[in-house]
Amino acid sequence: MEIIGRISKGTKMDQIYLPKNRGGFASGEYVLITPLKQSGEKEKRFKPYFYGVKNLEVIKLRTIEEIFGLVNQSIEPENIIITGSFLEQGFGFNDIDILVLAERKANTERISEKIKSQIGIKPHIILMGTKSLISGLSSDPLYNLMLSKCVSLKRIIFNVKRKINYKILDLILLKSKTLIDNFEILNGKEKYYLTLNMVSVLLFIQGKKLSKEIVNKEIGRLLKVDAENIRENMINREFLREYKKVYSQTFNLIMESIKHEK
Amino acid sequence: MKNRGQLIEIFVSNLANSIVHQILEKATDEQIYIDGYGKEMRNSRQIAENYRGKINPIDMPLPVKDAEEVRQKLKSKVNAELRLRISGGYKNINLELVEELVSLALKELKVV
Repeated sequence: MEIIGRISKGTKMDQIYLPKNRGGFASGEYVLITPLKQSGEKEKRFKPYFYGVKNLEVIKLRTIEEIFGLVNQSIEPENIIITGSFLEQGFGFNDIDILVLAERKANTERISEKIKSQIGIKPHIILMGTKSLISGLSSDPLYNLMLSKCVSLKRIIFNVKRKINYKILDLILLKSKTLIDNFEILNGKEKYYLTLNMVSVLLFIQGKKLSKEIVNKEIGRLLKVDAENIRENMINREFLREYKKVYSQTFNLIMESIKHEK
Repeated sequence: MKNRGQLIEIFVSNLANSIVHQILEKATDEQIYIDGYGKEMRNSRQIAENYRGKINPIDMPLPVKDAEEVRQKLKSKVNAELRLRISGGYKNINLELVEELVSLALKELKVV
């Protein structure tokens, strides 16, 4: 592993700053510093863009580098974005969510197989054009949530104005009705995602910012239960009562938005 | 442990939800949303299928009386959900699809 850095002047000592998210060079490790052989020579190095990711395990960073390489070999993407549970701390993820932005169609199954055989983790590839992504970001809370925490190959610059499309929000919210009908049979993880889905729609329609942390905090405030307790299925019928209230509040807001639509 | 009546109730609720979803999807001009989150979750249709597997007889249609009861309950639930939206100003909901989709679902899940 190599990092190119620049020596900067300090008051007592000079220093070289290293990015927090790096694939190696742990704190406390001894390193050898040598000057670049030819002045002006720039080596190609892996430098992805991080959004909402504070820390990432070194092994995950290397995995992302490999994935970017494999996707790049198969298709010429405008950007590659890694998102979802893979970016959460630890190794509790089931797969890797990969959003590939490209105008051209591509055989995602072939790319998936390649990634699975070379890296050993099941990928979930979503291929779409930039226009579709922008459209999704403007009207779908799940896109907003997805991109609130991600790692991308290139810088993501979108200036998207939120648009309330009651039909889309109603469809997304309808998924969360499953919890009301099946409280006793769903597991904690399913209950958590249905709650996350519902509260994301509520925050979106209220014009609030979206990230998993913000939604979890709102879950705690509205449903009076810690998000972790939902995941562990440590909730009772009191939760269901509160859930129904939030569900109908969200549904009413969606219906209300019909009147404001041109 | 749930009795037969309760199993039928949950089966109908889930199947109704999946039919409402189908009809609302058709009412939406643009289908741009994706299942980015919760893709491993069971949806209403899958849950309904699981419950059908718990209601005897499993491999053949339900007795005519039960099947008719399921059909009526299902239609009434789906219509209620859709009419709630129509009364709020929701556009393009095609109520004529209810009969067709209910019959299709009942056939596919061996209720009739």
